[in-house]
Amino acid sequence: MDRRELLQWMVAASGLTAVNRLSATDLLALGRDAHRGTAADVGRLKFLGAHAAMTVMIAAEHIIPAGATPGATHANVTAFIDTMLDGWYPPDDRARFLRGIAELDGRSMARYGEKFVTGSAAQQIALLETSDVEVAALRSTSDAAANDHWFAMLKYLTVWGYCTSEVGMRETLHSYPMPMRYDGNARVDA
Amino acid sequence: MTRDIAPVYDAIVIGSGMTGGWAAKELTQRGLRTLVLEAGRSLTPEADSREHVQPFDMPFRGLGDRRVIEVRQAVQKRSVSFDEISHRFWTDDVDNPYSTPDDKRFDWFRARQMGGKSVIWGRQVYRMSDLDFEANLRDGIAVDWPIRYAELAPWYARVERFIGVSGQAEQLPQLPDGAFLPPMALNCVETQVRDRIAARYGRERVMTIGRVAVLTALHNGRAPCHYCGPCQRGCSTRSYFSSINATLPAAQATGRMTLRPHSIVRALDFDTRRKRISGVRVIDAQTGAEHRYSARIVFLCASAIESARLLLNSTSPAFPNGQANSSDQVGRNVMDHIKWGGATGTIDGFTDRRVIGERPNGIYVPRFRNVSSKHPDFIRGYGFQGGAGRGGWAAATRAPGIGLAFKERLTQLGPWSMTFNGYGEMLPRASNRATVHPTLKDRWGVPSLHIEAQWSDNELAIHRDMNITASELLDAAGARDIRAHTHGPSTPGNANHEMGTARMGRDPKTSVLNGRNQAWDAPNLFITDGACMTSSSCQNPSLTYMALTARACAHAVAELQRRNL
Repeated sequence: MDRRELLQWMVAASGLTAVNRLSATDLLALGRDAHRGTAADVGRLKFLGAHAAMTVMIAAEHIIPAGATPGATHANVTAFIDTMLDGWYPPDDRARFLRGIAELDGRSMARYGEKFVTGSAAQQIALLETSDVEVAALRSTSDAAANDHWFAMLKYLTVWGYCTSEVGMRETLHSYPMPMRYDGNARVDA
Repeated sequence: MTRDIAPVYDAIVIGSGMTGGWAAKELTQRGLRTLVLEAGRSLTPEADSREHVQPFDMPFRGLGDRRVIEVRQAVQKRSVSFDEISHRFWTDDVDNPYSTPDDKRFDWFRARQMGGKSVIWGRQVYRMSDLDFEANLRDGIAVDWPIRYAELAPWYARVERFIGVSGQAEQLPQLPDGAFLPPMALNCVETQVRDRIAARYGRERVMTIGRVAVLTALHNGRAPCHYCGPCQRGCSTRSYFSSINATLPAAQATGRMTLRPHSIVRALDFDTRRKRISGVRVIDAQTGAEHRYSARIVFLCASAIESARLLLNSTSPAFPNGQANSSDQVGRNVMDHIKWGGATGTIDGFTDRRVIGERPNGIYVPRFRNVSSKHPDFIRGYGFQGGAGRGGWAAATRAPGIGLAFKERLTQLGPWSMTFNGYGEMLPRASNRATVHPTLKDRWGVPSLHIEAQWSDNELAIHRDMNITASELLDAAGARDIRAHTHGPSTPGNANHEMGTARMGRDPKTSVLNGRNQAWDAPNLFITDGACMTSSSCQNPSLTYMALTARACAHAVAELQRRNL
């Protein structure tokens, strides 16, 4: 990923429309996050090309955004998804996933006249919600059909990747470090 | 060419797992210079435990290296404790093939490493009772056990005191109590379920905490459990019992044990004149060289089906059908436990409560069928294992929504659910059988097995009844949305409790071993792994294997001292 692409996805992933609205401190923080969370690893991606990787990164961050705790980008979910596509899934699933990204761009072009990654955060979220509703509709009749939808695959991998990441386990789920004790009657907020 | 190794050993133990470790400990502590032959590599708790590896340090985050595993471990991966980390403790199915009929799958789970399957076992330990030891005689099935509970009780106690068993005494005749460390705690919902079952069923159906070979207190220099969870990846604090955590170090401490890894025993030699096993033929798994060792006694502890394979592959003019097999029972009577019957239900309330830590144990409902009354559809019975818990983020992988509200859902716990999973007794039948494959061989050229086993109507009736009574227990517990399990019976072998392939008995014509685990045909050969089991009971069997091993060792040493061997 080159500098221009990195800047593009940073803008998109942060939900902002232009870099020049960021303060210097924000930019620094964003750059640090990007570097720590993704940029170094994106350079080593094995399966996803730059455009697909950026699409995945932006979509994953919309699924699990940063808020009080870090989001999917910081948890480096894209690298995990790349590993799964490269080394785990059969060819049919990989092809379906890539077709899904092309379809997402096709819809974005039709609706907004630009590709998914360059659209506004609101546009991106609207597109992803459309896919999410499609999956839910399929699920009302068949789990298998729902799971075959490319967005179900992306979402599954995003959630799995986030919830098994160090940052996700430590800061959001509080499942790491291990408690090293047993209490079968603990308060939920304990 | 075979190189003869001068006989400097009193005893040879084949296998270093659950029973091989016990044989090594007992024989060396009783003064015997003992050679332990392990087919796999060396393993130590310090160097090989992986229980604290986090998902983010696994390439596939716990989902496993699917492409490699589907090729190399297509059978082993079906075990419940097979995962991205623990897969290294199972064998490679390509190097170690076997066959079954196309329509009768059999899951043969195998481990070749120091400690064998004791590294990856489920750790549940239950005594058998005379309800089990008298069962074949009472029902007219197969042959009678040559022993009764009273003979094994002190050996159960000896094993429990050494390995450390946490559990709750319940004073039930069908499930004798043992020498227990403090029990692990039931969680808040399990406590309510237990009490409500007691209110409806009294002493007829009892729910208790599982009896488990995991320490709840410092014991024999091993640390108590710290509730990290994945025991199947090893234990750096030696808190669960395994050969490498306890028995092999005890044997090592005597200074009388020689442990030889990478030693695949190919065949046993027989001295026809003296009626004794005269040698053990070993292939060095790394070099392919063959060695021959000899000793006054041999303990065969290679795991039930592997031990049968070795006997069947040890043919001679005296035993054309295999060593110690004049009864033609070697390889027959393959048993396991039937699973996958049971039910799950939702328990309301306790929404402000959760579980902290991973308890390596669940609940246990001891057998209640055919104990004090007689069921019309089947003989024998089953027990339930299971527990209560709340779902976490995994449910969100398939849930609708995106954004901050969706992210919040990841942190929320689902309702409490309670599950009962049955483990049912399997009857011994001669037609459930392992035979030497005519052509198939393993990577080292040792002939492989063809295994043919299937459930009978009795097991299938037990499986159906599990769904009914598990639902009844949940109803008694006040559960709603009770769902009986919908999958059919488990694949034979899948419980990882294979046994019966060289059974004990009272008659050399119909059994392989006498009441001291001694081969009728070769008195210096003792078989003490699951092969020796005359019936399967429904309890998890490892404790019984260990007790029988310790008892057989004492007998063997006494016989050596009396110069009978």
